[in-house]
Amino acid sequence: MIVDIKNLTHHYDIDVLHNVSLSLKKYGSIALIGKSGSGKSTLLRILSGMEKATTGSIHVNGYPVSDPVYKKKVGFVFQNHNLFPHLTLERNITLILEKTRGVEKENAKEIAQKHLRLLQLGDQMHKLPKHVSGGQAQRASIARALSLDPDVIFLDEPTASLDPILTDEVLTAVKKLRTLGKDFIFATHVISFVRNFADYVIFMQDGVIVEQGKTTILDNPQTEAFKDYMSKVH
Amino acid sequence: MNKVETSDTPPASLTPKINRKRRASFFINYGLAILTFLILGYLIARAQTRVLDFSAIFDRPDILRNAFITTIRASFTALIFSVIFGLILYFFSISKIRYLRALSDVFTEIIYGTPLLVMIFMMGFIFRASINNIIDMIGITDFIKQFDSSFRGFSGPQMGLAGLTIYITPYMANIFRAAFSSIPEEQYMAMHLFGFTTFQRYRYIIVPQVIRVLMAPLMNNFSLIIKGSALLNIVMMREIYYELFSIQQRTGRSVEAFFVMWLLYLAITLPLSQFTRFIERRWGT
Ligand SMILES: Nc1ncnc2c1ncn2[C@@H]1O[C@H](COP(=O)(O)OP(=O)(O)O)[C@@H](O)[C@H]1O
Ligand SMILES: [Mg+2]
Repeated sequence: MIVDIKNLTHHYDIDVLHNVSLSLKKYGSIALIGKSGSGKSTLLRILSGMEKATTGSIHVNGYPVSDPVYKKKVGFVFQNHNLFPHLTLERNITLILEKTRGVEKENAKEIAQKHLRLLQLGDQMHKLPKHVSGGQAQRASIARALSLDPDVIFLDEPTASLDPILTDEVLTAVKKLRTLGKDFIFATHVISFVRNFADYVIFMQDGVIVEQGKTTILDNPQTEAFKDYMSKVH
Repeated sequence: MNKVETSDTPPASLTPKINRKRRASFFINYGLAILTFLILGYLIARAQTRVLDFSAIFDRPDILRNAFITTIRASFTALIFSVIFGLILYFFSISKIRYLRALSDVFTEIIYGTPLLVMIFMMGFIFRASINNIIDMIGITDFIKQFDSSFRGFSGPQMGLAGLTIYITPYMANIFRAAFSSIPEEQYMAMHLFGFTTFQRYRYIIVPQVIRVLMAPLMNNFSLIIKGSALLNIVMMREIYYELFSIQQRTGRSVEAFFVMWLLYLAITLPLSQFTRFIERRWGT
């Protein structure tokens, strides 16, 4: 995937991202790490086109992120699954396919069921999100992102609200997705997952990129901030 | 991959048994509770020095029926309009225009500080004259006369009903506020990301969720309206309280009259609260 960010600054009340630039061409799985509040979620939302940056030019795979065409090629997995609570797992997917992608009803069902099965949810798809476990809901949310056939999938701390067993369950599911040939950008605190899933790592602090590089930078932090972070997540 | 069962759902084989047991105990205990109140009522009635005689009350069933219908009709009218005004007041309260927000705040505070009785009295006797003078002056009275030649301005009952409606409006706005804020910011983000149109957002995602949160408190407010409608007797609306109060004055049968009055209100409010429970069970989260 090609990620091209030039002088991205974003502020709410204060500057949340500060003059971020990034140019990556050949990585398929990019990890964002850093303390809470460092701006990972904000960067993901901006890269996925969900939120408009205050200033800066942001392109992914050649599209400006505000391009409606790009938005249809994006999948997003939120921290707390964020499934629509009044719809079954299956309907959470088919509603989007039918209403926003113009997919026929029967066809939409087929696509939804295929992806729910892929994430081992074949026997859960007619349940409401509140009637399945947190890990299952999170996997359903991954299935939802996949069903839209995106080029890039964003995951914002997909396991932050789960216990260790469910975390493992979800991350195992995500790993399998590598074989589908999709690109990923994700934020997480699970360093072991970054090690064997990411091929590029970006460490952020206070709205700026402090260090970046191949996964090996995890073993050789240069700055105090990164050293400090690595000592805390282990 | 590990399958982790959700801890709060018992294994399927156990549930029917538990449900049957629970249901039996439910009926027994509620039956006993209702019986307790019936016995209590009976004892109180027995302790009356006079012999109860309901014949004078049911002498004119048409009056009772009309009173019953008037209460229901007035309550529904107040319900519908307070829902509409409540929605408008809610939109004022979240408006970008600060004046509208202030307006809704001040209005809400005034209503919260006002007894319903005072509100209905003011509307029926004080504001009524002013409003009728004003609509007369600016030609609205003449305009309405084209459709209803007997129109002489708003009547006491109409103004009283308007008072009840206005009084409930902030309470309606409140339940809209609670309902709409029950949808978290992230869901709006998701709707945006997936590319739903505004209409689709309301039709498929927002309204279906909000309705669930809205129904139970809406029915509670409706119950408030029905009980509040008893005060419309002071503006001569011929509803349940008004008619039964007149009957007891005419016949001297006050115990019987108030007893029937009470039962008529319960005949409306109890089914309503059962309906509310049903909705909560059906749609509750
Ligand atoms: N919608 C928002 N409104 C105001 N401030 C926000 C909002 N979202 C995030 N922030 C602030 O922006 C900063 C970065 O937050 P975030 O991007 O969520 O960081 P991270 O995901 O790394 O924890 C934090 O200080 C947070 O409080
Ligand atoms: Mg975050």
